[in-house]
Amino acid sequence: MVTCTGCALLCDDIEVIVEAGRIKETKNTCLRGAGRIKGCVNRLVPSIGEQRVDVGNCIEKAAEILKNAESPMLFGFDNSTSGAQVKAVQLANKLDAIIDDTSSFCQGIMVEKVLRQEFRTCSLDDIRNKADVIIYWGSDAQDSQPRHLSRFSYFPRGEERQRGYEEDRTAIAIDVRESNTAKICKGHFYRIPLKGDRRFILALMDALSGRVPKFDGYDVQKILELSGILKKAKFGAIFAGIGLTYSIKDDAGILADLGRMLPNFHIMPMIGHYNMRGFNENLFRETGFVNSVKFGSEPVHDNRYSIAETLREKSIDVLLVAGSDPLLSLPRSIAKSLAGMQVVCIDPCVTLTSKISAVNIPAAVSGVECGGTAVRMDGKKVELSACVESGFLGDEEILGRIMEAV
Amino acid sequence: MGIDVGKFLKNPEYDIRITTYRDVFQVAALECDRWGDEFRKYSAAVFMSKIDMAKMGFKKGDRVKVSNTNGSIVVEVRETKRDEPGGIAFMVNSPWSNALVSGDTGGRGIPEFKDIRAKVSLSKDEVTGMEKLVVGN
Ligand code: SF4
Repeated sequence: MVTCTGCALLCDDIEVIVEAGRIKETKNTCLRGAGRIKGCVNRLVPSIGEQRVDVGNCIEKAAEILKNAESPMLFGFDNSTSGAQVKAVQLANKLDAIIDDTSSFCQGIMVEKVLRQEFRTCSLDDIRNKADVIIYWGSDAQDSQPRHLSRFSYFPRGEERQRGYEEDRTAIAIDVRESNTAKICKGHFYRIPLKGDRRFILALMDALSGRVPKFDGYDVQKILELSGILKKAKFGAIFAGIGLTYSIKDDAGILADLGRMLPNFHIMPMIGHYNMRGFNENLFRETGFVNSVKFGSEPVHDNRYSIAETLREKSIDVLLVAGSDPLLSLPRSIAKSLAGMQVVCIDPCVTLTSKISAVNIPAAVSGVECGGTAVRMDGKKVELSACVESGFLGDEEILGRIMEAV
Repeated sequence: MGIDVGKFLKNPEYDIRITTYRDVFQVAALECDRWGDEFRKYSAAVFMSKIDMAKMGFKKGDRVKVSNTNGSIVVEVRETKRDEPGGIAFMVNSPWSNALVSGDTGGRGIPEFKDIRAKVSLSKDEVTGMEKLVVGN
């Protein structure tokens, strides 16, 4: 059995068939997981500029660039093992650098609330065993964490849910779009206007406190019906997707307010990258913040240190990226500034970012070519093991060697 | 030889509000080859409700230019899988949608990936290729 690093569910029931040192087939994975485990067609080659060189030279060059940087930043690590993340935090500290991950423009706000215990949360195993009402809010798990419903939330039998989805569980979707997940939540799909989440929460809170909910153009009966289902729940869960997070990003506390009115409910941010929560926990343990931190005499958190803002303001001159592709995932209007700085890219594959990088360092695929640990979306620590021998170094070793050389 | 007047007429332009989402087939294509045709096929498209397509006179498979002050792309029009009420169009989150997202985060660090305002009009140009979306091009 191996653990899939395709998403933050870290499914641990995966079988792989290896032939001639390559993964030929995977069993039990979803499409996303199979893609991750089988890997990419274009592996990154070690290079400085256009020149192919050996990995040792790349590591030395990366260290030299970082040492000479005026305002270095380290970014990514959500597809790295926890060991690599700890090394990255140490390296940022040593360099007085900024460190950030994709959570600054993704689920960081929500994970921070979990770590600060502002949300009541629970484990995925609790959900499988006990949950009777589950809400996918701005989350299309069927496409983003494709085995979430089948392994944990809706379809499985659980200790206190022996009748499964047929009788024991109610699945609800609140979304702008009738997603694949919403399709499963038959009769319990609440379509809301784009950016209407906050108003919907307020209307729901009114209904929960016995007032007539106000929500322009919305069927009040439907909100009252939803409030009735939530009040009756014995063990409920709100899976907060990125759609919800983006919509309430300026007032995420409102979700905690709703949570306080629903004492039987638990809130869980739906995380994509397999070890984003690990990064948030590792940095939080070290600095008290989950992302966007600048080291110096003491670590300082500021949104100015988020990747989107540093690129927009062009406030850094060197960026080390590991296991992330900011050119792919950020608005082109700000990612463009990457072309004007020195980038060191650590990744298993050729990425958009690697194309404009000064130094490229190929890495092993964690959970396939190197082992380690990671943190599942619910906070459970999970072991990863290698199932093929590739000869590529893991992120942890690469970062360790860069640190020795700076 | 007659003059093709149509060539000089500007296609009507419509305001459009786009939200983005994830698609497992696109993510699997990304894992395999982000430079490949599959990834482009799943990404370079705008999905619209039947109602909006009729309003704007678009047919499935038409190519449209989607542009705003942040960028401009040419993608294919597709119909949403399920009946949507209209007013919102959809794109799978990708470098194509990111070409249209503003870099202004209001100091928050989170761009408006899921609320893009743009203009849309029929286009005869080729679908924008990934090469054009890589910085420097
Ligand atoms: S749900 Fe996530 S962890 Fe599980 S097999 Fe799919 S990609 Fe892998």
